[in-house]
Amino acid sequence: MIELRNVTKYFKTDESKKYLLKDVSLTLPDINIGLIGRNGTGKSTLMRMLGKIEFPNEGTIYSNNSFSWPMGLAGGVVPTMSGKANVKFVCNLYNKDPQETEEIIEYVRDFAELGEYFDLPVSTYSSGMRGRLGFGMSLPFDFDYLIIDETLATGDPVFQQKASDALKEKIGRCHIILVSHNPKTLLSMCDAGMVLNNGELNYYENIEDGIKYYREINEKEGKK
Amino acid sequence: MTLRKPFQIFLAVEKALFLREINKSISVGKAGLFWTFFQPFMQVALFVILRGFILGGGSENYDVATFMASGFIAFNMFRDTLSGSTNAFIANKQLFIYKQVKPIDTILARLLKTMFITSIIVLMFLFIGFFFQYGNIAPQNILMVFLGYLWLIVFSISVSLVAAIGSAFYISIGRVIGIMSFALLLGSAVFFPIISVPAEYQEYFLYNPLVHFMEMIHAAYIPELDDRFVDYQFMMYWTVVPMFIGAWLYQKLEKRIISL
Repeated sequence: MIELRNVTKYFKTDESKKYLLKDVSLTLPDINIGLIGRNGTGKSTLMRMLGKIEFPNEGTIYSNNSFSWPMGLAGGVVPTMSGKANVKFVCNLYNKDPQETEEIIEYVRDFAELGEYFDLPVSTYSSGMRGRLGFGMSLPFDFDYLIIDETLATGDPVFQQKASDALKEKIGRCHIILVSHNPKTLLSMCDAGMVLNNGELNYYENIEDGIKYYREINEKEGKK
Repeated sequence: MTLRKPFQIFLAVEKALFLREINKSISVGKAGLFWTFFQPFMQVALFVILRGFILGGGSENYDVATFMASGFIAFNMFRDTLSGSTNAFIANKQLFIYKQVKPIDTILARLLKTMFITSIIVLMFLFIGFFFQYGNIAPQNILMVFLGYLWLIVFSISVSLVAAIGSAFYISIGRVIGIMSFALLLGSAVFFPIISVPAEYQEYFLYNPLVHFMEMIHAAYIPELDDRFVDYQFMMYWTVVPMFIGAWLYQKLEKRIISL
Protein backbone atom coordinates (compact mmCIF):
# COMPACT_ATOMS: atom_id res chain seq x y z
CA MET A 1 0.00 0.00 0.00
CA ILE A 2 1.23 3.44 -0.89
CA GLU A 3 -0.30 6.47 0.74
CA LEU A 4 0.08 9.98 -0.58
CA ARG A 5 -0.92 12.58 1.98
CA ASN A 6 -1.51 16.12 0.70
CA VAL A 7 1.45 15.85 -1.62
CA THR A 8 2.41 19.01 -3.42
CA LYS A 9 5.36 19.24 -5.76
CA TYR A 10 6.33 22.26 -7.81
CA PHE A 11 9.31 23.63 -9.65
CA LYS A 12 10.09 27.30 -9.44
CA THR A 13 10.52 29.12 -12.68
CA ASP A 14 11.55 32.79 -12.87
CA GLU A 15 8.10 34.21 -12.26
CA SER A 16 5.81 31.42 -11.19
CA LYS A 17 5.63 27.96 -9.74
CA LYS A 18 4.91 25.08 -12.03
CA TYR A 19 2.82 22.54 -10.18
CA LEU A 20 3.35 18.87 -10.97
CA LEU A 21 1.21 17.67 -8.09
CA LYS A 22 -1.24 19.90 -6.31
CA ASP A 23 -2.42 18.72 -2.90
CA VAL A 24 -2.87 15.10 -3.93
CA SER A 25 -4.19 12.63 -1.37
CA LEU A 26 -4.50 9.08 -2.56
CA THR A 27 -4.18 5.54 -1.28
CA LEU A 28 -2.96 2.97 -3.76
CA PRO A 29 -3.61 -0.72 -3.13
CA ASP A 30 -0.97 -3.38 -3.80
CA ILE A 31 -1.57 -4.01 -7.48
CA ASN A 32 0.26 -3.34 -10.71
CA ILE A 33 -0.28 0.26 -11.68
CA GLY A 34 0.31 1.99 -14.97
CA LEU A 35 1.12 5.69 -14.85
CA ILE A 36 0.05 7.69 -17.88
CA GLY A 37 0.47 11.33 -18.77
CA ARG A 38 1.70 13.68 -21.41
CA ASN A 39 5.36 14.62 -21.63
CA GLY A 40 6.46 17.05 -18.96
CA THR A 41 3.56 16.49 -16.61
CA GLY A 42 5.86 15.06 -13.93
CA LYS A 43 5.61 11.30 -14.36
CA SER A 44 9.32 10.80 -13.87
CA THR A 45 9.37 13.15 -10.90
CA LEU A 46 6.57 11.18 -9.29
CA MET A 47 8.54 7.99 -9.89
CA ARG A 48 11.61 9.57 -8.34
CA MET A 49 9.54 10.60 -5.34
CA LEU A 50 8.34 7.02 -4.90
CA GLY A 51 11.98 5.92 -5.12
CA LYS A 52 12.85 8.42 -2.36
CA ILE A 53 15.39 10.34 -4.37
CA GLU A 54 13.18 13.36 -4.84
CA PHE A 55 11.03 14.82 -2.11
CA PRO A 56 7.63 16.54 -2.17
CA ASN A 57 7.57 20.23 -1.28
CA GLU A 58 4.65 19.59 1.05
CA GLY A 59 2.97 16.47 2.36
CA THR A 60 4.35 12.96 2.69
CA ILE A 61 4.45 9.74 0.77
CA TYR A 62 4.09 6.87 3.13
CA SER A 63 4.64 3.19 2.45
CA ASN A 64 5.81 0.06 4.23
CA ASN A 65 7.00 -1.55 1.05
CA SER A 66 10.42 -1.58 -0.51
CA PHE A 67 10.88 0.12 -3.84
CA SER A 68 13.44 -0.44 -6.54
CA TRP A 69 15.44 2.49 -7.87
CA PRO A 70 13.60 4.20 -10.74
CA MET A 71 14.66 2.32 -13.83
CA GLY A 72 14.65 4.55 -16.82
CA LEU A 73 16.42 5.16 -20.05
CA ALA A 74 19.35 6.86 -18.38
CA GLY A 75 19.08 6.03 -14.70
CA GLY A 76 20.59 3.31 -12.63
CA VAL A 77 23.97 2.93 -14.26
CA VAL A 78 27.14 4.98 -13.78
CA PRO A 79 28.79 5.81 -17.14
CA THR A 80 32.40 5.77 -15.92
CA MET A 81 32.22 2.23 -14.54
CA SER A 82 32.03 -0.96 -16.58
CA GLY A 83 28.80 -2.90 -16.75
CA LYS A 84 30.23 -5.52 -14.45
CA ALA A 85 31.41 -2.94 -11.93
CA ASN A 86 27.94 -1.42 -11.95
CA VAL A 87 26.36 -4.76 -11.11
CA LYS A 88 28.96 -5.39 -8.40
CA PHE A 89 28.30 -1.97 -6.92
CA VAL A 90 24.59 -2.65 -6.58
CA CYS A 91 25.30 -6.12 -5.11
CA ASN A 92 27.48 -4.44 -2.49
CA LEU A 93 24.73 -1.95 -1.75
CA TYR A 94 22.30 -4.76 -1.04
CA ASN A 95 24.69 -6.83 1.12
CA LYS A 96 25.00 -9.76 -1.28
CA ASP A 97 27.73 -12.23 -0.36
CA PRO A 98 30.47 -13.07 -2.93
CA GLN A 99 28.72 -16.19 -4.19
CA GLU A 100 25.40 -14.44 -4.75
CA THR A 101 27.26 -11.57 -6.40
CA GLU A 102 28.91 -14.01 -8.79
CA GLU A 103 25.55 -15.55 -9.67
CA ILE A 104 23.94 -12.16 -10.22
CA ILE A 105 26.81 -11.04 -12.46
CA GLU A 106 26.46 -14.19 -14.56
CA TYR A 107 22.71 -13.71 -14.77
CA VAL A 108 22.98 -10.10 -15.93
CA ARG A 109 25.75 -11.02 -18.39
CA ASP A 110 23.47 -13.63 -19.96
CA PHE A 111 20.36 -11.54 -19.84
CA ALA A 112 21.71 -8.29 -21.26
CA GLU A 113 23.63 -10.04 -24.08
CA LEU A 114 26.34 -7.41 -24.04
CA GLY A 115 29.20 -9.73 -24.92
CA GLU A 116 32.62 -8.20 -24.39
CA TYR A 117 31.02 -4.79 -23.77
CA PHE A 118 30.10 -6.04 -20.31
CA ASP A 119 33.68 -5.33 -19.18
CA LEU A 120 33.89 -1.92 -20.86
CA PRO A 121 32.76 1.42 -19.37
CA VAL A 122 29.06 2.08 -19.79
CA SER A 123 29.89 5.36 -21.56
CA THR A 124 30.92 3.29 -24.60
CA TYR A 125 27.47 1.66 -24.81
CA SER A 126 24.70 2.58 -27.19
CA SER A 127 21.49 3.76 -25.57
CA GLY A 128 19.83 0.43 -26.31
CA MET A 129 22.64 -1.47 -24.60
CA ARG A 130 22.42 0.85 -21.62
CA GLY A 131 18.72 0.16 -21.32
CA ARG A 132 19.34 -3.59 -21.51
CA LEU A 133 21.95 -3.44 -18.77
CA GLY A 134 19.78 -1.23 -16.58
CA PHE A 135 16.81 -3.53 -16.99
CA GLY A 136 18.82 -6.72 -16.46
CA MET A 137 20.39 -5.32 -13.30
CA SER A 138 17.08 -4.81 -11.59
CA LEU A 139 15.73 -8.32 -12.12
CA PRO A 140 17.85 -10.33 -9.63
CA PHE A 141 16.95 -8.09 -6.69
CA ASP A 142 13.80 -8.51 -4.66
CA PHE A 143 11.54 -5.55 -4.11
CA ASP A 144 7.88 -5.13 -3.32
CA TYR A 145 7.58 -2.61 -6.11
CA LEU A 146 9.51 -2.18 -9.30
CA ILE A 147 9.51 1.37 -10.61
CA ILE A 148 9.87 1.26 -14.36
CA ASP A 149 10.13 4.30 -16.56
CA GLU A 150 9.67 3.35 -20.21
CA THR A 151 12.54 0.87 -20.10
CA LEU A 152 10.57 -1.73 -21.99
CA ALA A 153 10.72 0.36 -25.12
CA THR A 154 14.48 -0.15 -25.48
CA GLY A 155 16.18 -2.77 -27.56
CA ASP A 156 15.27 -4.72 -30.62
CA PRO A 157 12.03 -6.75 -30.88
CA VAL A 158 13.76 -9.94 -29.68
CA PHE A 159 15.00 -8.27 -26.53
CA GLN A 160 11.68 -6.53 -25.98
CA GLN A 161 9.95 -9.89 -26.00
CA LYS A 162 12.53 -11.32 -23.62
CA ALA A 163 12.21 -8.32 -21.31
CA SER A 164 8.44 -8.45 -21.13
CA ASP A 165 8.55 -12.23 -20.50
CA ALA A 166 11.05 -11.74 -17.67
CA LEU A 167 8.97 -8.96 -16.25
CA LYS A 168 5.78 -11.01 -16.37
CA GLU A 169 7.53 -13.78 -14.48
CA LYS A 170 8.79 -11.23 -11.95
CA ILE A 171 5.31 -9.75 -11.48
CA GLY A 172 4.33 -13.01 -9.83
CA ARG A 173 6.58 -12.05 -6.91
CA CYS A 174 6.27 -8.27 -6.82
CA HIS A 175 4.22 -5.35 -8.10
CA ILE A 176 5.17 -2.78 -10.66
CA ILE A 177 4.53 0.86 -11.30
CA LEU A 178 5.01 1.36 -14.98
CA VAL A 179 5.28 4.54 -17.02
CA SER A 180 4.47 3.95 -20.65
CA HIS A 181 2.82 5.56 -23.63
CA ASN A 182 2.08 2.22 -25.21
CA PRO A 183 -1.51 1.09 -24.47
CA LYS A 184 -0.66 -2.52 -25.38
CA THR A 185 2.12 -2.75 -22.80
CA LEU A 186 -0.04 -1.08 -20.19
CA LEU A 187 -2.98 -3.42 -20.81
CA SER A 188 -0.85 -6.54 -20.62
CA MET A 189 1.15 -5.56 -17.51
CA CYS A 190 -1.07 -3.42 -15.34
CA ASP A 191 -4.39 -3.79 -13.57
CA ALA A 192 -5.00 -0.25 -12.42
CA GLY A 193 -4.09 3.07 -13.91
CA MET A 194 -3.15 6.58 -12.83
CA VAL A 195 -3.39 9.60 -15.07
CA LEU A 196 -1.29 12.64 -14.27
CA ASN A 197 -2.48 15.88 -15.78
CA ASN A 198 -2.09 19.53 -14.71
CA GLY A 199 -1.18 18.75 -11.12
CA GLU A 200 -4.00 16.27 -10.70
CA LEU A 201 -3.47 12.58 -10.18
CA ASN A 202 -6.50 10.44 -10.97
CA TYR A 203 -6.68 6.81 -10.01
CA TYR A 204 -8.63 4.25 -12.06
CA GLU A 205 -9.32 0.78 -10.80
CA ASN A 206 -9.33 -0.42 -14.37
CA ILE A 207 -6.47 0.51 -16.62
CA GLU A 208 -8.81 0.76 -19.62
CA ASP A 209 -10.68 3.71 -18.07
CA GLY A 210 -7.35 5.40 -17.50
CA ILE A 211 -6.30 4.96 -21.09
CA LYS A 212 -9.68 6.23 -22.24
CA TYR A 213 -9.35 9.39 -20.13
CA TYR A 214 -5.79 9.86 -21.40
CA ARG A 215 -7.08 9.71 -24.99
CA GLU A 216 -9.68 12.36 -24.17
CA ILE A 217 -6.99 14.65 -22.79
CA ASN A 218 -4.89 14.14 -25.87
CA GLU A 219 -7.81 14.89 -28.17
CA LYS A 220 -8.63 18.07 -26.28
CA GLU A 221 -5.02 19.21 -26.46
CA GLY A 222 -4.83 18.29 -30.12
CA LYS A 223 -7.82 20.50 -30.99
CA LYS A 224 -6.37 23.62 -29.41
CA MET B 1 12.62 -9.04 1.80
CA THR B 2 14.35 -8.78 5.17
CA LEU B 3 14.64 -5.29 6.56
CA ARG B 4 18.14 -4.08 7.27
CA LYS B 5 19.07 -1.77 10.12
CA PRO B 6 20.18 1.72 9.11
CA PHE B 7 23.71 1.03 10.32
CA GLN B 8 23.93 -2.13 8.22
CA ILE B 9 22.82 -0.15 5.19
CA PHE B 10 25.41 2.50 5.99
CA LEU B 11 28.18 -0.11 6.18
CA ALA B 12 27.07 -1.71 2.92
CA VAL B 13 27.03 1.68 1.20
CA GLU B 14 30.46 2.62 2.54
CA LYS B 15 31.89 -0.70 1.40
CA ALA B 16 30.41 -0.35 -2.08
CA LEU B 17 31.57 3.25 -2.46
CA PHE B 18 35.03 2.56 -1.05
CA LEU B 19 35.59 -0.35 -3.43
CA ARG B 20 34.36 1.83 -6.26
CA GLU B 21 36.81 4.62 -5.37
CA ILE B 22 39.71 2.16 -5.09
CA ASN B 23 38.68 0.55 -8.35
CA LYS B 24 38.64 3.97 -9.99
CA SER B 25 42.17 4.84 -8.90
CA ILE B 26 43.53 1.44 -9.94
CA SER B 27 41.82 1.41 -13.33
CA VAL B 28 43.68 4.60 -14.38
CA GLY B 29 46.48 2.23 -15.32
CA LYS B 30 49.87 1.33 -13.95
CA ALA B 31 51.20 4.86 -14.36
CA GLY B 32 48.40 6.29 -12.23
CA LEU B 33 49.02 3.78 -9.50
CA PHE B 34 52.77 4.35 -9.64
CA TRP B 35 52.43 8.12 -9.25
CA THR B 36 49.98 7.77 -6.37
CA PHE B 37 52.74 6.21 -4.31
CA PHE B 38 55.80 7.75 -5.91
CA GLN B 39 54.62 11.38 -5.81
CA PRO B 40 55.30 11.89 -2.08
CA PHE B 41 58.83 10.49 -2.44
CA MET B 42 59.49 12.85 -5.28
CA GLN B 43 58.01 15.82 -3.42
CA VAL B 44 60.19 15.14 -0.41
CA ALA B 45 63.32 14.64 -2.49
CA LEU B 46 62.64 17.78 -4.52
CA PHE B 47 62.07 19.99 -1.53
CA VAL B 48 65.07 18.63 0.36
CA ILE B 49 67.24 19.52 -2.63
CA LEU B 50 65.55 22.91 -3.11
CA ARG B 51 66.04 23.82 0.51
CA GLY B 52 69.63 22.71 0.33
CA PHE B 53 70.20 25.16 -2.51
CA ILE B 54 68.20 28.08 -1.14
CA LEU B 55 69.17 27.93 2.52
CA GLY B 56 72.53 26.40 1.92
CA GLY B 57 71.83 23.23 3.89
CA GLY B 58 73.47 22.15 7.12
CA SER B 59 72.29 25.27 8.93
CA GLU B 60 69.48 23.43 10.73
CA ASN B 61 69.86 21.10 13.65
CA TYR B 62 67.10 18.65 12.65
CA ASP B 63 66.78 15.99 9.97
CA VAL B 64 65.37 17.69 6.87
CA ALA B 65 64.19 14.57 5.03
CA THR B 66 62.18 13.30 7.99
CA PHE B 67 60.81 16.80 8.50
CA MET B 68 59.65 17.02 4.88
CA ALA B 69 58.19 13.53 4.82
CA SER B 70 56.13 13.90 7.98
CA GLY B 71 54.84 17.27 6.81
CA PHE B 72 54.09 16.41 3.22
CA ILE B 73 52.23 13.18 3.93
CA ALA B 74 49.98 14.95 6.40
CA PHE B 75 49.46 17.92 4.10
CA ASN B 76 48.69 15.74 1.09
CA MET B 77 46.12 13.88 3.12
CA PHE B 78 44.40 17.13 4.02
CA ARG B 79 44.57 18.45 0.47
CA ASP B 80 43.28 15.25 -1.13
CA THR B 81 40.38 15.06 1.31
CA LEU B 82 39.44 18.68 0.69
CA SER B 83 39.74 18.60 -3.09
CA GLY B 84 38.12 15.16 -3.28
CA SER B 85 35.15 16.38 -1.27
CA THR B 86 34.50 19.62 -3.08
CA ASN B 87 33.25 17.85 -6.19
CA ALA B 88 32.07 14.66 -4.48
CA PHE B 89 28.38 15.56 -4.63
CA ILE B 90 28.41 16.55 -8.30
CA ALA B 91 30.65 13.67 -9.42
CA ASN B 92 28.55 11.05 -7.66
CA LYS B 93 25.19 12.46 -8.66
CA GLN B 94 24.27 9.35 -10.62
CA LEU B 95 24.71 7.21 -7.54
CA PHE B 96 22.00 9.04 -5.62
CA ILE B 97 19.48 7.15 -7.75
CA TYR B 98 19.99 4.36 -5.23
CA LYS B 99 18.20 5.69 -2.20
CA GLN B 100 20.63 4.03 0.21
CA VAL B 101 23.42 6.32 -0.97
CA LYS B 102 23.34 9.59 0.94
CA PRO B 103 25.57 12.47 -0.17
CA ILE B 104 27.67 12.35 2.99
CA ASP B 105 28.54 8.71 2.26
CA THR B 106 30.41 9.78 -0.85
CA ILE B 107 32.57 12.17 1.20
CA LEU B 108 33.26 9.51 3.81
CA ALA B 109 34.18 6.98 1.14
CA ARG B 110 36.67 9.40 -0.38
CA LEU B 111 38.10 10.11 3.05
CA LEU B 112 38.48 6.38 3.67
CA LYS B 113 40.26 6.01 0.35
CA THR B 114 42.63 8.87 1.17
CA MET B 115 43.32 7.38 4.60
CA PHE B 116 43.96 3.98 3.06
CA ILE B 117 46.44 5.34 0.53
CA THR B 118 48.09 7.59 3.12
CA SER B 119 48.68 4.69 5.47
CA ILE B 120 50.29 2.68 2.67
CA ILE B 121 52.56 5.63 1.90
CA VAL B 122 53.50 6.00 5.57
CA LEU B 123 54.34 2.30 5.78
CA MET B 124 56.44 2.57 2.62
CA PHE B 125 58.44 5.47 4.06
CA LEU B 126 58.95 3.62 7.34
CA PHE B 127 59.99 0.37 5.65
CA ILE B 128 62.46 2.11 3.38
CA GLY B 129 63.81 4.17 6.27
CA PHE B 130 64.30 1.21 8.57
CA PHE B 131 65.67 -0.97 5.78
CA PHE B 132 68.51 1.48 5.23
CA GLN B 133 68.86 1.88 9.02
CA TYR B 134 68.05 5.57 8.80
CA GLY B 135 67.66 6.15 12.54
CA ASN B 136 65.96 9.56 12.30
CA ILE B 137 62.86 8.01 10.71
CA ALA B 138 61.70 6.74 14.12
CA PRO B 139 59.29 9.24 15.68
CA GLN B 140 60.16 10.74 19.02
CA ASN B 141 56.63 10.48 20.40
CA ILE B 142 54.66 8.03 18.32
CA LEU B 143 51.36 8.46 20.17
CA MET B 144 51.45 12.22 19.72
CA VAL B 145 52.15 11.78 16.00
CA PHE B 146 49.24 9.41 15.79
CA LEU B 147 47.00 11.89 17.60
CA GLY B 148 48.17 14.64 15.28
CA TYR B 149 47.24 12.67 12.18
CA LEU B 150 43.93 11.57 13.66
CA TRP B 151 43.04 15.12 14.65
CA LEU B 152 44.01 16.31 11.20
CA ILE B 153 41.61 13.76 9.70
CA VAL B 154 38.75 15.03 11.85
CA PHE B 155 39.67 18.60 10.97
CA SER B 156 39.80 17.70 7.26
CA ILE B 157 36.40 16.08 7.27
CA SER B 158 34.82 19.04 9.10
CA VAL B 159 36.23 21.59 6.69
CA SER B 160 35.53 19.34 3.70
CA LEU B 161 31.88 18.91 4.62
CA VAL B 162 31.34 22.68 4.66
CA ALA B 163 33.31 23.06 1.43
CA ALA B 164 31.41 20.26 -0.27
CA ILE B 165 28.00 21.67 0.63
CA GLY B 166 29.10 25.14 -0.43
CA SER B 167 30.48 24.08 -3.77
CA ALA B 168 27.40 21.97 -4.51
CA PHE B 169 25.39 25.18 -4.73
CA TYR B 170 28.06 27.71 -5.72
CA ILE B 171 30.63 26.57 -8.26
CA SER B 172 32.91 29.49 -7.34
CA ILE B 173 33.63 28.00 -3.92
CA GLY B 174 35.17 24.93 -5.52
CA ARG B 175 37.32 27.12 -7.76
CA VAL B 176 38.55 29.26 -4.86
CA ILE B 177 39.47 26.14 -2.89
CA GLY B 178 41.42 24.84 -5.90
CA ILE B 179 43.44 28.04 -6.05
CA MET B 180 43.84 28.21 -2.29
CA SER B 181 45.37 24.75 -1.99
CA PHE B 182 48.59 25.97 -3.58
CA ALA B 183 48.69 29.02 -1.32
CA LEU B 184 48.12 26.70 1.62
CA LEU B 185 51.10 24.59 0.61
CA LEU B 186 53.31 27.69 0.78
CA GLY B 187 51.80 29.10 3.95
CA SER B 188 51.29 26.05 6.11
CA ALA B 189 54.78 25.42 7.46
CA VAL B 190 54.96 22.19 5.53
CA PHE B 191 58.59 22.52 4.45
CA PHE B 192 59.85 24.96 7.07
CA PRO B 193 59.24 25.25 10.80
CA ILE B 194 57.70 28.46 12.13
CA ILE B 195 60.76 29.00 14.31
CA SER B 196 62.83 29.68 11.20
CA VAL B 197 60.42 32.44 10.11
CA PRO B 198 61.47 35.98 11.18
CA ALA B 199 59.83 36.78 14.50
CA GLU B 200 57.74 39.72 13.24
CA TYR B 201 55.97 37.52 10.62
CA GLN B 202 55.38 34.48 12.82
CA GLU B 203 52.02 35.70 14.16
CA TYR B 204 50.56 35.99 10.64
CA PHE B 205 51.37 32.37 9.91
CA LEU B 206 49.73 31.33 13.16
CA TYR B 207 46.29 32.44 11.97
CA ASN B 208 46.34 29.45 9.63
CA PRO B 209 44.99 26.40 11.49
CA LEU B 210 46.99 24.04 9.30
CA VAL B 211 50.23 25.57 10.61
CA HIS B 212 49.31 24.38 14.09
CA PHE B 213 48.69 20.84 12.87
CA MET B 214 51.98 20.77 10.99
CA GLU B 215 53.88 22.16 13.96
CA MET B 216 52.24 19.64 16.27
CA ILE B 217 53.16 16.70 14.05
CA HIS B 218 56.69 17.98 13.46
CA ALA B 219 57.24 18.62 17.15
CA ALA B 220 56.10 15.13 18.07
CA TYR B 221 58.15 13.51 15.33
CA ILE B 222 61.46 15.30 15.59
CA PRO B 223 63.28 15.55 18.93
CA GLU B 224 64.94 18.87 18.09
CA LEU B 225 61.64 20.71 17.52
CA ASP B 226 59.03 21.65 20.11
CA ASP B 227 55.40 22.73 20.05
CA ARG B 228 55.89 26.22 21.50
CA PHE B 229 53.79 27.80 18.70
CA VAL B 230 50.97 25.26 18.80
CA ASP B 231 47.69 26.57 20.22
CA TYR B 232 45.64 23.46 20.92
CA GLN B 233 42.57 25.49 21.80
CA PHE B 234 42.70 27.27 18.43
CA MET B 235 42.91 23.89 16.69
CA MET B 236 39.92 22.64 18.65
CA TYR B 237 37.83 25.66 17.63
CA TRP B 238 38.74 25.07 14.01
CA THR B 239 37.68 21.44 14.31
CA VAL B 240 34.48 21.76 16.29
CA VAL B 241 32.98 24.90 14.73
CA PRO B 242 33.18 23.75 11.07
CA MET B 243 31.98 20.31 12.11
CA PHE B 244 28.81 21.70 13.62
CA ILE B 245 28.25 24.20 10.82
CA GLY B 246 28.72 21.38 8.32
CA ALA B 247 26.41 18.98 10.12
CA TRP B 248 23.75 21.69 10.51
CA LEU B 249 23.91 22.71 6.86
CA TYR B 250 23.93 19.08 5.79
CA GLN B 251 20.81 18.06 7.63
CA LYS B 252 19.07 21.20 6.31
CA LEU B 253 20.12 20.65 2.70
CA GLU B 254 20.48 16.87 2.32
CA LYS B 255 17.26 16.47 0.34
CA ARG B 256 18.13 19.31 -1.99
CA ILE B 257 21.57 17.82 -2.62
CA ILE B 258 20.10 14.40 -3.43
CA SER B 259 17.78 15.82 -6.09
CA LEU B 260 20.35 18.31 -7.32
